[in-house]
Amino acid sequence: MTGLEEDDSAAAEDHADPRGDPFLRTRFAVPARPVTYLRRERLTRHLDQALRTPLTMVNGAAGAGKTLLVADWAARRVRLPVAWLTADAAGDGPGVFWAYLLRALRTAGVALPAGIGVPADATRVGPALPVRLAAELSGRERPVVVVLDEFDRVTAPETAGQLDFVLRHAGTGLRLVLVTRTEPLLPLHRYRAAGELTEIRGAELAFTSHEAAQLLELHGLRLPPAAVSALVERTGGWAAGLRLCALAAGQSPDPEVYLKEFEADRSTVADFLLAEVLKRQDAGTQELLLRVSVLDRFGPGLANAVTGRDDAEAVLARLSRENAFVEHLGHGLYRLHPLFAEILRAHLRMRRPGAEPGLHRRAAAWLRRSGALGEALAHGAAADDWEFTAGALIDDLAVGQFFTGPRSEAMAELFAAMGQDSAGPAPELVRAAGLLARRDVDGGLAHLRRARHELAGYDGTADEAAARLSCALLEALAARLAGAPDRVEDAARAAEGLWDAVPELLDRHPEVTALLLDHLGSARLWAGHFEEARAALNRVADSVPGAATALPREDSLGRLALIDQLNGWPGRAERRAREALAETERFGLPRSSGSGVERLVLAAVAVDRDELGQAQALLDTSADAHPALRDPVLEACRALTTARLHLARGDPGAALRAVEPEVPADVASPWVRCGTALVAAAAHLAEGRARTAAGLLARVPDGQVACAVEAARVQLAAGRTAAAVCLLDRVDPEGRAGPAVTVRAALVRAQAADEAGDGETARGLVGRALAEARRERLRRPFAEAGPWIRPYLRSASPHRPTTGRPAPRSGPSRHEPPPPVVEELSGRERDVLRRLALTMSTEEIAADLYVSVNTVKTHLKSVYRKLTVNRRNEAVRRARELDLL
Amino acid sequence: MRYEIRVDGHLSEPLIKVFPELDHVTMSGQTLLFGHVVDEAHLYGLLARCQSLGLRILEMRQVPE
Repeated sequence: MTGLEEDDSAAAEDHADPRGDPFLRTRFAVPARPVTYLRRERLTRHLDQALRTPLTMVNGAAGAGKTLLVADWAARRVRLPVAWLTADAAGDGPGVFWAYLLRALRTAGVALPAGIGVPADATRVGPALPVRLAAELSGRERPVVVVLDEFDRVTAPETAGQLDFVLRHAGTGLRLVLVTRTEPLLPLHRYRAAGELTEIRGAELAFTSHEAAQLLELHGLRLPPAAVSALVERTGGWAAGLRLCALAAGQSPDPEVYLKEFEADRSTVADFLLAEVLKRQDAGTQELLLRVSVLDRFGPGLANAVTGRDDAEAVLARLSRENAFVEHLGHGLYRLHPLFAEILRAHLRMRRPGAEPGLHRRAAAWLRRSGALGEALAHGAAADDWEFTAGALIDDLAVGQFFTGPRSEAMAELFAAMGQDSAGPAPELVRAAGLLARRDVDGGLAHLRRARHELAGYDGTADEAAARLSCALLEALAARLAGAPDRVEDAARAAEGLWDAVPELLDRHPEVTALLLDHLGSARLWAGHFEEARAALNRVADSVPGAATALPREDSLGRLALIDQLNGWPGRAERRAREALAETERFGLPRSSGSGVERLVLAAVAVDRDELGQAQALLDTSADAHPALRDPVLEACRALTTARLHLARGDPGAALRAVEPEVPADVASPWVRCGTALVAAAAHLAEGRARTAAGLLARVPDGQVACAVEAARVQLAAGRTAAAVCLLDRVDPEGRAGPAVTVRAALVRAQAADEAGDGETARGLVGRALAEARRERLRRPFAEAGPWIRPYLRSASPHRPTTGRPAPRSGPSRHEPPPPVVEELSGRERDVLRRLALTMSTEEIAADLYVSVNTVKTHLKSVYRKLTVNRRNEAVRRARELDLL
Repeated sequence: MRYEIRVDGHLSEPLIKVFPELDHVTMSGQTLLFGHVVDEAHLYGLLARCQSLGLRILEMRQVPE
């Protein structure tokens, strides 16, 4: 965590949820109680226990009065902050859930530091966010009450697990109240056994005859006790049933007779009562209720759009006042009580068969006009109108959301139902995006060709600019994945020509520019134009951080790190790669959401520093990159780093196998071809095939400094000293490349001098190499130099030849990093280690993992052994260094 | 898999139509929904549908084909 200060960027960052939609303020509002609400003291008293137990669960059937009970109680907690969050009907993925929860806490006045992070992926959230939130809440003097209403809609098991984690580590700082129809997936038995659970269940929520009489009286209905008891029996004390009863009976001429009929009827309670209340409304109101049943929430405008009338405002206000089905959410928004929405939909299907798609289409069109793209897409899909849905997405320039992580999976899911028969440029572009997001380049290109063909016939409207820009973005991606830098440049130029046509759209979708520049930068990197690549990538890296651009920012930072590493600057590369990792961390991206190129860079740096175990661990964790970012640069980088690691471990055969399959690309990359040839040459040399090695070197172009130095090294090892020195003289690495290159160059010259019997020059060169290497912790160049260097290393220490630089206190061997992890940690050992990092005690870890204390101790011992440490804080530090946490 | 679900009360026609894949009989203040259930996902879906309509499930069992 960076600090405790509340900073402004927090507000700027989370103005929208990870899907890029603005936060729905109504979801944070404590629902209003109707005037006829009856406060029942026995329940509020029980609910007061919620302040004394970490977890409270209020569960019961739909319409049991759960929400109103908790809302009434919460509204009277004046001394404690109460954060209210109503789960969404569509079911929130973990990312959206946590984004909303953080926002709910802030809305309730709980100051959270910006460093707590913002989830950028709607469907996943990394482990760091719950940890930080728990730490933050546990430091509170007074608890915050968090109410999660309609928690049954939160179905992702990992959300329950993460909530459980936060709750158990937030101590007395958090009081969680879950309002739900079904039991949540939290381990309730454990809370119950420890006396840490307050439960109010359906039976307790049921109205007694006495309470029912009071409720009916609030509705202006006075009944003899026997009639009330009969009613309670018929409804099972069900709050919604009683309320509807009162409404229906109140409108009939003789309520008592009416209620007798209700008792005698054998229909299901909700269905019967709803039909009764519905038929008492006038025809216009009935129609409105039936039609809005396809909407989750609506204002008068949207309601008018689906009814085709203009009186919704007054009707909705009246219905919510009468408390018949319609609830006012505040901010002019309403919703139907979920139970009645469901039953009304059933009535709609029967009375107006086939009307549903049309209603969805009207809703979609209205929402699109009012700028609610996410909801418009959902209704467009529900209407099965794909030309509209794809068109809305493309015209809004939202196609980047297929890739940027935040809602990529939601997009793929939404459009999965689109058949092949919808035609036009927008559906073709959406199909291309879906295929490219899964790295199906040929399939994507086929649809892009069709889209381009269709677009050729159109002429200059603003919508067309958005479609053309989307097309250019996708073409850039396809060309990047295919390894065709020229086509990426063409697409980028085409896109730039369109920027001025849609300025507001670009402001709203920063991911489009970021993705395009990332594609451009990576293609230039592939082509070996490092400076031009850096120019494009820097623009992404310097852009304003945000959830929408987290992915391209991470990727660009990672690729900038790669350029530094290729130029021989391991320290800079490492810093930049760590920045990229921090970017993913900050936005809670899981490892697989980005390209992971920064992990490969760190692995390459680790090889140069002879930290081979760490390099292996990094290579292992970078295996599952986002498919749309798995371009030739990444594949080549992985192959080369893997091969160099094998060489360092003395396994030339494996190194050869690693670089053998050529990375498929339309155009070959100069530095990759060169790097591959050098690794192969070094491997052949190590296996004694000097001639084969020399043959490979003959084909290496010497334009790249790093390549030329490597080539000189191989020449030297193959016994061609003169050729090596000549090559170095020609490329002159000093001043053109970083220490990882110049140190190697110095060592080549030193060896040449040593072979020529010029010990003094060799000593000077080795000394200079040591000085440079020490700052960067480079050890590999000395390890791979060969036995000739040993005497120079031994004598290099106290009085050194003049190099103009301060003498190092020792050779790099003193800076030896701790021994690498030789043995992988098991899954359970990692579990223990992670909890150790949270400063949990052995007993807490045992309880948390459902194992005995002794088992935890055994795991700890083997963790210590594998990490070669003796204490817990050393283990945690070491694990962080090795990126195991 | 064939299942039958017994719910409390008589279902109105709109509610019956929410279960188009099932047959039904009404008897003594209860409704019996029965028919072929594709898999477990379908089964839980049926339960959720009952819950969202406020139906009270009295019994649910698998019956021989």
